[in-house]
Amino acid sequence: METSKALLPIARITKYTLIDDVRQRSFVVMFVICAICVFLIRGCYQGNYIVNGQSLDARTVVGALSKVTFHIIGAGVMVIAALLSMRIFRRDRNEGMQSCILSKPIARWQYVMGKIIGLWVLSVTFMFILHGIVFLITSINLKVFMPEYIIASLLCSINLLFVIIATLLLSLTMPDIVAFLCVLGVGTVGFVADGIAAASQSQIALAIVQQSGGHPQSDVTWWKVVYFLWPKLLGVQQVASSLIGRESFRGFGHFYPLINVLLYCLILGAVLFKRFKNEDIV
Amino acid sequence: MVCLRMFELKNVTKRYDSLVAVDNVSFSVKTGECFALLGPNGAGKTTIVKMLLDFTRPTSGSLSLNGIPSILAECRQSIGYLAENHHIPSCLSGWQYLQRCAELLDISRSEAIDHCRHIVELIGMQGREDAKVGTYSKGMIQRFGLGAALMGDPKLLILDEPTSGLDPIGIREIRQLLESLKGQGMTIFLNSHLLSEVEKICDTAAIINRGKLLVKDAITAIVKDGETLEDVFVRLVRG
Repeated sequence: METSKALLPIARITKYTLIDDVRQRSFVVMFVICAICVFLIRGCYQGNYIVNGQSLDARTVVGALSKVTFHIIGAGVMVIAALLSMRIFRRDRNEGMQSCILSKPIARWQYVMGKIIGLWVLSVTFMFILHGIVFLITSINLKVFMPEYIIASLLCSINLLFVIIATLLLSLTMPDIVAFLCVLGVGTVGFVADGIAAASQSQIALAIVQQSGGHPQSDVTWWKVVYFLWPKLLGVQQVASSLIGRESFRGFGHFYPLINVLLYCLILGAVLFKRFKNEDIV
Repeated sequence: MVCLRMFELKNVTKRYDSLVAVDNVSFSVKTGECFALLGPNGAGKTTIVKMLLDFTRPTSGSLSLNGIPSILAECRQSIGYLAENHHIPSCLSGWQYLQRCAELLDISRSEAIDHCRHIVELIGMQGREDAKVGTYSKGMIQRFGLGAALMGDPKLLILDEPTSGLDPIGIREIRQLLESLKGQGMTIFLNSHLLSEVEKICDTAAIINRGKLLVKDAITAIVKDGETLEDVFVRLVRG
């Protein structure tokens, strides 16, 4: 009874967050542009791809292209989630909704929770629809049915939660646009570092190192620790996309990015609640 | 348990770095009283209101509403609040805004419709409630803000400059509305610069300057024969 009483205001604030954001013209424009862009890629599936003089079969083409599209949509929606989150507190403050809500018997944690869930549901739906378009194109046009694509999309929602919490927290301490750029920076550094790490583990890179007489570094250095602890956003996407290719299970380490990002969500969420509790409401 | 004190401040101090916005202020307001907090700009009136609503925390001292510490959300169950320079999201209509406020107070949908209709009548906005807030004047937004504060029949109404942006007719209507609410036993906390209006509506008043409480008493006791509240205010504030 008590729990449902506490959840009710959260559900209402979630609803208002969703309604207010969807009503924004900029959101609608952004969504339509993204949907059109994703829809336009259907032409890529129908081309004839020849590798080493051999024509690729439809399933290989669909699998490879779907993975690329999956990563692009995942990264793109993270940017959109950060854009939506960066101004949410300021907008509520300027439009009087923050003082209106908090002058009612609603605790601050309920308000923040409602905002987080609202933004998360919105951005997950946004990403799910875009991934859904790809799924429909491959299922209807190309007759390649990939239900794992939809599961992978849901798994990627952990990244969106991280982006939302981080942006909300930073927007309390710095101008909105700086908060957005900081989160974008964290994501970009993670993507680049993961890319370099993946490249350095490739057969070609290892062969080059061996040919030059060197050997791969195995000792612990500070940058390795930083890399290990850095938010593994690309890692989560890779774990999710491995479902699409139905890659084999590669041990517990394979799931480290999920644990890493979830831990970040918990820690940053706790800091956000604490920070907002001490915030002056204007 | 019926608490005779609607709200109480005990040795409340609020500092913003080196600035003392409220300096060791203590007073209480009884249930059913119409109370005015007066002071020049920057005296600390709005800070006191914000501390009552837990929008900002005091540096020291304590505040309670109906015997419940102001830091607990449940103490705001029966409070109506109208902010100074009230704003409403421009994407909503006045009606949608009132509905939202009713929903936040756990009022059922059918009850909320009747309640909102009654409030629209009270604030004199019939026929305009479905228009978008973006098309409203400042005075109209203020009226809907007052309407939202009246949602759920609060026991305590906190009004920060309620007549701001209203024309003389609007000011008169709001005064009449407050008088009728006072007649119904509602406790009213008024922050206003319109001393003539305060003198007409309120039973008690407190005057603060630079965060310090100068006087808190019944208006009849503060205003001596041959004086107006304005004369007393100017005399006390100028020292």
